[in-house]
Amino acid sequence: MSLRTLRIGGFVALATVLLSGCGKHPLDTFDTDGEKAELIADLFYPVLGVAIFVFIVVQSAIVYMVVKYRAPAPGPDDEVRPGGYPDDEYPGQNHGNTRLEILWTIVPTVMLAAISVFTLVSLFDLDDVEASEESLAITVVGQQWWWEFQYHLDGDTESPPDFVTANEMVIPVEVDVPLLITSRDVIHSYWIPRLNGKRDGVPGREHPWVIQANEVGRFAGQCTEFCGLSHAYMRMWTEAVSAADFDVWVENQLRTQPVLVEGDVGYDGQQLFVGNCQSCHVITGVTQRDRDGDGTPEVDTWDLYQGTDKYVDPAILTAGAAPNLTHFMTRQTFAGSFFDLYDADGDLNRAQLEAWIRNAPAEKPNNWENQQGMTPFTGLTADQVDDLVEYLTTLR
Amino acid sequence: MAIIEQRPLELTTGAPAVVERPLGVLTRPQGSTGWKSWLFTVDHKRIGILYGGTAMFFFLVGGVEALLIRLQLAQPNGTVLSADTYNQVFTMHGVTMIFLVAMPLAAAFANYLIPLQIGARDVAFPRLNAFSFWCFLFGGIFLNTSWFMGGAPDGGWFNYAPNSGVLFSPSHGIDFYALGLQITGIASLVGAINLIVTVLNMRAPGMTLMKMPVLTWMLLVVQFLLLFAIPVFTVALFLLMFDRLYDSNFFNVDAGADPLLWQHLFWIFGHPEVYILILPSFGIVSEVIPVFSRKPIFGYPFMVFSGIAIGFMGWGVWAHHMFVSGIGPISVAAFSLSTMFIAVPTGVKILNWMATMWGGRLVFSTAMLYAVALVSMFTIGGLSGVTHAISPADTQQTDTYYIVAHFHYVIFGGSVMGFFAGFYFWWPKAFGYCLDEKLGKIGFWVTLIGFNATFGPMHILGLQGMSRRIQTYSEGQGFNFWNAVASIGAFMIAFGVLLFLVNVYRSWRRARDLPAPGPDPWDARSLEWMTASPTPEHNFDEVIHVTSQDEFWHRKWGQDEEGRIVRIAATEDVAHDGSNTDVHLPSPSYWPIFAASGLPLIGYGLIFNLWFAVVGGALLLGGVYGWVFEPPDDPDAAHGHDGDHGADHGDGDGAEPADAVGDEPADDEPLDDEPAGDEPLGDEEVAPVG
Repeated sequence: MSLRTLRIGGFVALATVLLSGCGKHPLDTFDTDGEKAELIADLFYPVLGVAIFVFIVVQSAIVYMVVKYRAPAPGPDDEVRPGGYPDDEYPGQNHGNTRLEILWTIVPTVMLAAISVFTLVSLFDLDDVEASEESLAITVVGQQWWWEFQYHLDGDTESPPDFVTANEMVIPVEVDVPLLITSRDVIHSYWIPRLNGKRDGVPGREHPWVIQANEVGRFAGQCTEFCGLSHAYMRMWTEAVSAADFDVWVENQLRTQPVLVEGDVGYDGQQLFVGNCQSCHVITGVTQRDRDGDGTPEVDTWDLYQGTDKYVDPAILTAGAAPNLTHFMTRQTFAGSFFDLYDADGDLNRAQLEAWIRNAPAEKPNNWENQQGMTPFTGLTADQVDDLVEYLTTLR
Repeated sequence: MAIIEQRPLELTTGAPAVVERPLGVLTRPQGSTGWKSWLFTVDHKRIGILYGGTAMFFFLVGGVEALLIRLQLAQPNGTVLSADTYNQVFTMHGVTMIFLVAMPLAAAFANYLIPLQIGARDVAFPRLNAFSFWCFLFGGIFLNTSWFMGGAPDGGWFNYAPNSGVLFSPSHGIDFYALGLQITGIASLVGAINLIVTVLNMRAPGMTLMKMPVLTWMLLVVQFLLLFAIPVFTVALFLLMFDRLYDSNFFNVDAGADPLLWQHLFWIFGHPEVYILILPSFGIVSEVIPVFSRKPIFGYPFMVFSGIAIGFMGWGVWAHHMFVSGIGPISVAAFSLSTMFIAVPTGVKILNWMATMWGGRLVFSTAMLYAVALVSMFTIGGLSGVTHAISPADTQQTDTYYIVAHFHYVIFGGSVMGFFAGFYFWWPKAFGYCLDEKLGKIGFWVTLIGFNATFGPMHILGLQGMSRRIQTYSEGQGFNFWNAVASIGAFMIAFGVLLFLVNVYRSWRRARDLPAPGPDPWDARSLEWMTASPTPEHNFDEVIHVTSQDEFWHRKWGQDEEGRIVRIAATEDVAHDGSNTDVHLPSPSYWPIFAASGLPLIGYGLIFNLWFAVVGGALLLGGVYGWVFEPPDDPDAAHGHDGDHGADHGDGDGAEPADAVGDEPADDEPLDDEPAGDEPLGDEEVAPVG
């Protein structure tokens, strides 16, 4: 009996911890804040309950039998029989009971059939992505090891995006935002557990999904399909803001960055950036590349993505496909959302940012020789890194 | 083509005729002691032991890899392993535990026990059986040499394309994966065909299919699963190999490929693989629980048919690994339903084991403890399986630690617990001494508690959002506590395994001072207990004519007028004593190991330099040549009897590799039943073994 009490007690303790959640868990699948995540939880809880019920019944029956049907241990005078029995006594022999067995084939079948009805309903609800005309849709592009979000303000994911951002997706609260998830290289998986389940981004395929938040807030995510060296370091955030704030944010994002002239704060950094960084990073209005192939580069604008097969061109693995840094300072994190851009007091996390610029592979594993991840720039002097950071702080 | 039996043949004239051995035909090895006899053995029992020993070695390798993973994840921002090393370690942990531990352990039990349980002398194709083992061993070694040749595979055991391509994994690791698993695949495929033929053709007279022990049934189902699943994996591995070594485009998205092709191929193999891993242990506990409950298995036909049903349904659930891969809601719905309903036959098995125990007289030997632990722990794994068969919930759970918890409850709580039950149960049969029960029970509790401490918390971690295959996690994600617990648990498991190894050694040392366990130490039911321990080379002294299920038990026990179970014969009077040395056995052979040794060389050749492949190919072809033209018998061995079933057999001189039955199709009666029939049995004591 004590064993049984122990087990049940332990189980209750476990369940309590599990359900209450001890401490802060930014990725908690129980701490739902989106309709889809709630839909999933509403299906999961009762099934978990049934499973726990069956678990208790089965384990109790086992414990009961262990206690009740244990053969007596051989006494000191007994001749121990093979198998450790004290005697030759056999219990009633029972070869089976077809009725009973049919019963315990049918009962679970019925239980599962009931569960399956709810499953199917939830399943189709979950996949019910209403892409309403002329409202926001976002293409999510996974890449080793960060996320790109391409905003289509008119909802038309066939046409080039109006603007793009990286690692942090900003959405209006309470609105279903249709997503189209894909990848440029290997398979990634987009997952914001508090808002919805996950969906793989597979190169060459576009998977519809939806994101929606009930409340204003920031929701953490983590790439959940193994995607190589830096898989653990590939994170993302979704930030839900009020409709008004969202409009302000969009307005700002659509703006291109001004070209600084000599004397402006950050001018030296801008020149360094154009010299060293623009082959991979885009800052609209500032960086340049020869997109039409006429030999003279054009300034990057939000038309950058026009006419390119943006998902599967392996050349884009590097060129123009590192995170777009336009309005960099409006983000809270950098480098696949692995590092915070600001500390708790709201000050720039300068040391980390400088370390990252100087030697990215030392901060986060990558394979830059194979064009996977950011190149180290250990040749930059401390002043040059300072200048670059100075410039980045102007990207608001 | 004359295959020469290098021995006097009795011509019709009565004169002996000696035929010269042509040039180029080698002799067969002889002798049944010494290390050479292990290299060239074709004895299914020795091959079973080789399988088991090798698998246990790899179990330690995979266990060390597991401990490294748990060390790395014990705290946030762990620095034990670099990301690159971590990816290799978790990949090789999975590959090792599945392909080099669980599958060969099942092969160990299958090889050792199937012929014994069906009353046969050996498997149908003894040399193929040896070939199968050597392929597994060389494939396993080949895979693990990748550690020293530029890095182990780093794409996970599931090895999803296109991350497995040269572009994203430029080291040779995944080449080793593709070729190494191809070699172990040959082992599984060859073994499957061999065992299927054995079960279907070589059962003792009277043993109909529905009188076979449940273990043999489950292993038969597993062989069919292997037979159909391995070729799919073979195809997938070939495509991968061509992509990586010869720049083909099967998984090259840029050239229009769809990466989901790999996922489908892999999981069409990979899900039946799960049942390949678990059904052998289901069979093992179906043998152990009745013996230690003193009751027959409850609902034998249901046990058999639910096993078959699992085998069939196992083919229709593969896409539940792909619920978030983007296969569309209709496909997801179909596979969600099929996955839920595969729980039904599994549930039937659980309930039937419990019904077997119900009203029994339970003795909790170590074997029984492990068997009951399987029933209990596998139930947890099965129930958590239902919670992600409901596909919407799976979109939260897949690729998190919840899944890691689930399949470790299935594979460790199921397969491994079953294998340990099997070790403690059949150890005396294989080695002639029992494992120490006291140490065994301590080891059991340490393992069980450690197992739950390791994998129980992973349910919580997964639901709290911890992804799989991540090399590290951060402070502030809330994963610290349960990861620390899991890491402590992992070291408890390691301690439990260590206790098992200590037990093996100590029990072996002490066996010489203890009475031998005899043929039937547990008062067991099936035929393997009807011969001496350790099993003599020829298995049974005479052909067993089977009239009922649990034949051996029914020869020992009967019913009196009131229906009570009473002993009708002493075990010693029923069991064979292994004294018949005049049974024809297949001769050992040089060629299985010779031919198999070419395969890893071909692998190295394809990766590094084709000249290795030429040498390997020559070894393989030479091996096959020698195999084909090998004389059926050892010409130098002294020979007692000249005819197969003639008169004149009474001079038995004890030479063991007696007659030529190598790989010939067996007779209806798998054993030579000539001499033993009239010999008195059971008078001698079984010799103590140390």
